[in-house]
Amino acid sequence: MIRLENVTRLFDNVAAVDGFSLEVDQGEVCVLIGPSGCGKTTTLRLINRLVEPTSGTILVNGRDVSRTKAEVLRRSIGYAIQSVGLFPHMTVGANIGVVPGLLGWGKERISARVNELLELVGLEPRQYAPKYVSQLSGGEAQRVGVARALAADPPILLMDEPFGAVDPLTRQRLQVQFLRIQRKLKKTIILVTHDLDEAIRLADRIAVMQSGRLVQHDSPERILASPANKFVHDFVGVDRALKRLSRISVEEFIRPTPSVTTSATREELSAAIGGHRSVWVVDGDGRPIGWIDRASLRDPGQLNDITVRADPAEMYVTGSDTLHGALSRMLGLGFKSLPAVDDNGRLIGEITLGDIEKATARGENMDHV
Amino acid sequence: MIRRLLSPDTVAITGVITGLVSLPFGWLTLKPNRLAGGTGLSLTDGLGGGATVIIVVLWITCLALSLFGRRRWQVTALGIALNLVVIATIFFTGPAAARLIGDAPTVARVSPGVGIWLTCLGAYIAIFSCRQRLKGFPLWQNLVSWLGLLSIFILLGTGWLDNLSVIVEFKNQQAQFVRQLVNHVVLFAGSVFAGTLIGVPLGIWAARRRRAEGPIFFVTNIVQTVPSLALFGLLIAPLSALSLAFPVLREWGISGIGAAPAIIALVLYSLLPVARNTYVGLSQLDPAIIDAGRGMGMSRGQLFRKIELPLSAPLVLEGVRTASVQAVGNTAVAALIGAGGLGWFIFQGISQAANDVVILGAVPIMALSLIVDSAMRGAVKVATPKGLGAR
Ligand SMILES: Nc1ncnc2c1ncn2[C@@H]1O[C@H](COP(=O)(O)OP(=O)(O)O)[C@@H](O)[C@H]1O
Ligand SMILES: [Mg+2]
Repeated sequence: MIRLENVTRLFDNVAAVDGFSLEVDQGEVCVLIGPSGCGKTTTLRLINRLVEPTSGTILVNGRDVSRTKAEVLRRSIGYAIQSVGLFPHMTVGANIGVVPGLLGWGKERISARVNELLELVGLEPRQYAPKYVSQLSGGEAQRVGVARALAADPPILLMDEPFGAVDPLTRQRLQVQFLRIQRKLKKTIILVTHDLDEAIRLADRIAVMQSGRLVQHDSPERILASPANKFVHDFVGVDRALKRLSRISVEEFIRPTPSVTTSATREELSAAIGGHRSVWVVDGDGRPIGWIDRASLRDPGQLNDITVRADPAEMYVTGSDTLHGALSRMLGLGFKSLPAVDDNGRLIGEITLGDIEKATARGENMDHV
Repeated sequence: MIRRLLSPDTVAITGVITGLVSLPFGWLTLKPNRLAGGTGLSLTDGLGGGATVIIVVLWITCLALSLFGRRRWQVTALGIALNLVVIATIFFTGPAAARLIGDAPTVARVSPGVGIWLTCLGAYIAIFSCRQRLKGFPLWQNLVSWLGLLSIFILLGTGWLDNLSVIVEFKNQQAQFVRQLVNHVVLFAGSVFAGTLIGVPLGIWAARRRRAEGPIFFVTNIVQTVPSLALFGLLIAPLSALSLAFPVLREWGISGIGAAPAIIALVLYSLLPVARNTYVGLSQLDPAIIDAGRGMGMSRGQLFRKIELPLSAPLVLEGVRTASVQAVGNTAVAALIGAGGLGWFIFQGISQAANDVVILGAVPIMALSLIVDSAMRGAVKVATPKGLGAR
């Protein structure tokens, strides 16, 4: 879909992009990452011809971009610039409607599209379309920026640090929303960031850049597991094992586990706990409410009395959580295992610290292949 | 405590004190004829006892309000009281002049004395400060700004002041006044228009080409620092030479004196404010906004029309406003080289030592600059895109 072939761009005889080749498939999210000044923005701008290459070829849909009129090319590629750059003298609606307007869409079609896009990025159209840019928060402005880039439904999106200028919490929310939208729209996206966590969360493949060169182009898992050289290794950082866990979902590590209800008999309890150190206790609907330790087996009283109760929402994990989240929760609670629940909150098994350790070790070993 | 005592607006107090100081001066001047020296009449002798009481009471009210008034209604009341001072002064001047003239030979003239001028000056100093403090309340602000002036216009229109020397002078020279007023407006408006037509492209050029920026502002800055009289003078020699060398120019009315050098100088003066504001208007634009526009596929022309023009228009018009106000004043000086305009009365009056004739030129020039200023402010406001808020 997008192909850069040995592209070089010099500024005052210094290469900002240097012999750069990259291929991005249709429907793929390619995250371009690297330290500040390594040429990420320039690479994006080469694709929509805001910057012309000194040498090399750029193909979009198999067609050399230099053979398409720059304005026409740009109208067919969504571009969200690094600093959002919303037009302050236009309403949010008018901002989003710019490219459709340039393409000659009718008024009604544009306003229908504006409403659709505002809804897509989670902003109530009737409330937000008439607002001016100065009335938006940072997060809202960035969402409008993304909506504007999507306006004419371009198959390709170039996004330059689209979630850069917001607080971490908002950023995380925007990232989740990005993934949801992308699952629906299946655009071909090149997204620039200097935040590794963001890259790992969003990318199908990550392209790591260093001083204008491509040093590694691979899936997030592979980048984390086997950095191509010392630069990537250092860039990924000492906590790459932890970072890798945030790509792995809890799903495949859930193992079946016995459980009892508070109305179970002593015999049923002994059978359930078997050789384990403890057993999960569930309510009548199968939702975890606490656990019973082996040590308390000898205590007299009802099961209800020897159950250690805990807030279920604090401790359970679901299949869509990551190992990173599960581990963090275990460390926080001081548990060696956590109950896993289905969408209805019913116990389906547990995940243990040992399993997470194994997953980590498996990745570490890949370093040396 | 001391801060609290000092905090009342010192500008307003200065104005009010100026007004109080005006009271013992001569309020009317009675002259046996147009050019003779006159005798001053005090407030009581001139305007009469009733008028004196009203004016003094009004000024004392203003003093109290300016010292102790902090709330909005008090500031508004002060503003209105100041306007009433002006209205009362002018109102009582009309019949007083009629009475004085009635007692004297027909060529006698009555004109406002130092007292009246000082009272009006003080009132408007304080009104200016009220106007500032009423920012955000346009209704009160406009009332305070215009009530007095409006009343004076009405009094002028109804012939209430016809016995004042300035008005007599005006009546005698009415045709000339209209001619010079039109002259003045044509000179300054035409020059600013031409200056804008040249200045805007210059500003755009400077904003687009780094290399053009330096020379453009070097030249326009120098022009701006030359006093207008000197610039008019400087243009006389080359233009005379030109019109001598090319007689055809003389047929078009271009010579060393008259309208030609005046227009050239006035256009040159307009260039700097217009070009500079255009330049600033364009170069202060957030580069990210331009970038976004280009990245979305706007052509050069679309970018200019849809983004650069609307966003820089308020600043450009602000430059035109500066140029206009400045040109109204400079056009007055242009009368010296025979270009005509309201300045003609000023220089005529000075040469004849006839103060009333000077006033006949000076006051309309002041009024004209006020009108031009507020009209252009209105234009700037209209041109400011909504999303940018009040600037
Ligand atoms: N228009 C330009 N003129 C001169 N140098 C530029 C220009 N654009 C980028 N550069 C230089 O190219 C290098 C890469 O810049 P950029 O692509 O913006 O980096 P990144 O987006 O990765 O931070 C930087 O050293 C920058 O100074
Ligand atoms: Mg960048």
